[in-house]
This record gives sequence, structure tokens and C-alpha cells, in this order.
Amino acid sequence: MQTNQQTSPDFLTLIEANKRIIFKICNSYCRNADDREDLAQEIIYQLWKSWSSFDSSYKLSTWMYRIALNVAISFYRKEQKTTPTVLMGDHVIEIADENLEEGLESNLNALQQFINELKPLDKALMILYLEEKSQKEIAEIMGITTTNVATKIGRIKEQLKQKFNNQD
Amino acid sequence: MENIEIINLWKQYDEKLEKSLSLNQKIIAELQQQKVKNALKPARNYKYLAILNGLIYAGLIMYFLYYLNPFVSIFIKVSVAIHLMVTLVAVGMYVRQLVLIGEIDRSENIIQMQQKMATLQSSTLKVIGVCFLQLPVFITWGISFELINNNPLAFWLVYVPIVLLFTYAGIWLYRSINIKNMDKKWLRIMFYGAEWNSILRSGKLLKEIETFEKD
Repeated sequence: MQTNQQTSPDFLTLIEANKRIIFKICNSYCRNADDREDLAQEIIYQLWKSWSSFDSSYKLSTWMYRIALNVAISFYRKEQKTTPTVLMGDHVIEIADENLEEGLESNLNALQQFINELKPLDKALMILYLEEKSQKEIAEIMGITTTNVATKIGRIKEQLKQKFNNQD
Repeated sequence: MENIEIINLWKQYDEKLEKSLSLNQKIIAELQQQKVKNALKPARNYKYLAILNGLIYAGLIMYFLYYLNPFVSIFIKVSVAIHLMVTLVAVGMYVRQLVLIGEIDRSENIIQMQQKMATLQSSTLKVIGVCFLQLPVFITWGISFELINNNPLAFWLVYVPIVLLFTYAGIWLYRSINIKNMDKKWLRIMFYGAEWNSILRSGKLLKEIETFEKD
């Protein structure tokens, strides 16, 4: 099975299509660059490990978000890393230095700071909200009811609004 | 800033990332070849080692009980038997933890999976609590009929109160060493280090899950 997986381009396509979300999750859960790299590698490795058992009757994005966020939350809980980083010095997801407009950059920093301050589960919910996932899908990923999702998102929206209003 | 503007801000960020991110396929290929790499492997190895040590130790106790049976007092036999029982219960708890590690599925929903992981991590405390239950046997093995008959005052006024005190302390520690008391100073004095910090974080997460589900 391992050999079949390695020759299949599907996994690489999956990672290529989702590299931005992996990057954003890593950025939200780790402040330190080395930790971010470790987390990115851990997420990709866990996705790879579960790839063969993926049940196609489920939505691919639900499966992917569950694994990536579960790995990120578990990573936060651990004091020390358990996974050795491969090819030290290189990054599994490279970012070219592209500057944003000044206003956009400062708003984005404020948003990142807001996300960073959230507790791990609220952080997951916030990311899913910003990614515009439906309440039903968020409920499936998080394992809570849609009513609960709606309440929590309402609360997060209020906090966000307040955060940006205070900034202005 | 309105919520729609915040969503748009996130979209702009996403568009920027779309242009600037690239995958390092060499690292992905390396990751795919790491067949044995597993985040839970150290935890699993630690449990295997604990089970092996526990079984060797239990074997030695059984050997001691079997061969020294005719020469030792009933108090030593009962004390050692209780010690053996507690050791086997602790080994059993580690076996159960190994089974739970095997059942970890990261594609489960977040609440379910995190609850399992945090419970698993904090269950190390339960094993320690169980071990404290045997506290009185370290006193009872020293009791003998000779002592009771020849020096009843020392037995009733010294031994019995100490055994009762150790029994109380053992039960109290068994009941109190748990994740719910993680903020207590005495528990923080008893445990420290990386493993304890992980347990602390697990405890915090369990609390967060509880609140998260209630809200």
C-alpha cells in the first residue's frame, strides 16, 4: 500500500491544493518559526498516514480540516516536539517575500493577533469561520451541534468587531 | 470594521498566499518515506517499558512469595500480596493506555479526538494515584505476632496509628492526585518537568472542552 501511495500523484495534489490552509493553521497555532515548520511537517505527515484510509463517502475538506486542526491542537499541548524535522533549514511550505499594502498589513496583523490570543478550540472555530465553512461542516469538523456553532460564531463576530473598533 | 470586511481581509491574505507559497516536494518525499515516524511513538515506547518493568518486578515478587512462604510471617505475606496486586493493577492500566493509543484516529471530530488524547495524557496521574494506595504495606510488613504479644502498647500506640495514618494518606492521595486538582500547590510541588507540563496542558484542554460543549 505504501508503494501505491508513493507513486500516486493524488496526495501531492491534495497538499498543493491545501497548502494555504496548512500554512494559515501553522501560523495561527505557532508563533515561533521553527515550531511552525515542525507543525507543517507533522500535519503533512499525518495527512499522508491517513490518506490510505480516507473514506471517499466523506467530504475531503472535512477530513483534511479535522486532521490538520487535531494535529495543531495536539502540537500546542505538547511541551517538546516528538517529530524530528527532516532536511533542517529547508521549509516544507516556502513563502516568497511579498509585501502587502500598509493598511492591509496592519489589519491582517491585528487579525492574526486576535486569532493568536484565542484558546485552541476557539482558534479552530475562528479559522473555519474565516474560511467560510458552512455551519453544518463546522459542526462536523468540531463535533458540536450546529446551534452551538451558531452561538459561538455570533460571539466571535462580536469580539472581532470590538477588536477592530478599538483599533480604529 | 464590519464582519464582511474581515472575511474579505482573510480572502486577500489567502490570495497573497496563493501567489507566494510553494511546496518543497523534496521534504514531502522525505516525509512519505518516514514509515515509522509517529508522534505517539515515544509515549507508546514509554508504556511498553513500564509494562515490561512492571511484569519483571511482579515476577520477582511472586518468586519471593513462593520460595519464602514458609519462613515469613502472615503480615509480610499479606503486605507483599497487596504490593503485588497494586503493581499488577498499574501494569493493567498501562496496557489499557496502549490500547487507547492504538485507537487514536486523527480524522475523528476535534472534540472527540482531543478528549481522548487529553484523557490519555492525564491518565498517567491515575497510575501514580493507584501506586499510593499501597502506602500502608510499607509499615504492615514489619508487624509480627511477637510484637503484638510482647509489646502490645507499642503495637496499639505506635504501629496501629501509623498504619491508619498511612492508609488515610494513601486513600487521600489516590483520590486527590487527579487532573481536577492540577492548580493545587502541593500537586505542583510533587510533579514537575516536561511530562507534567504536558499533563497540565491536557487538563486545561479538558476544561476548555467541557466549557466549549456547554456554551
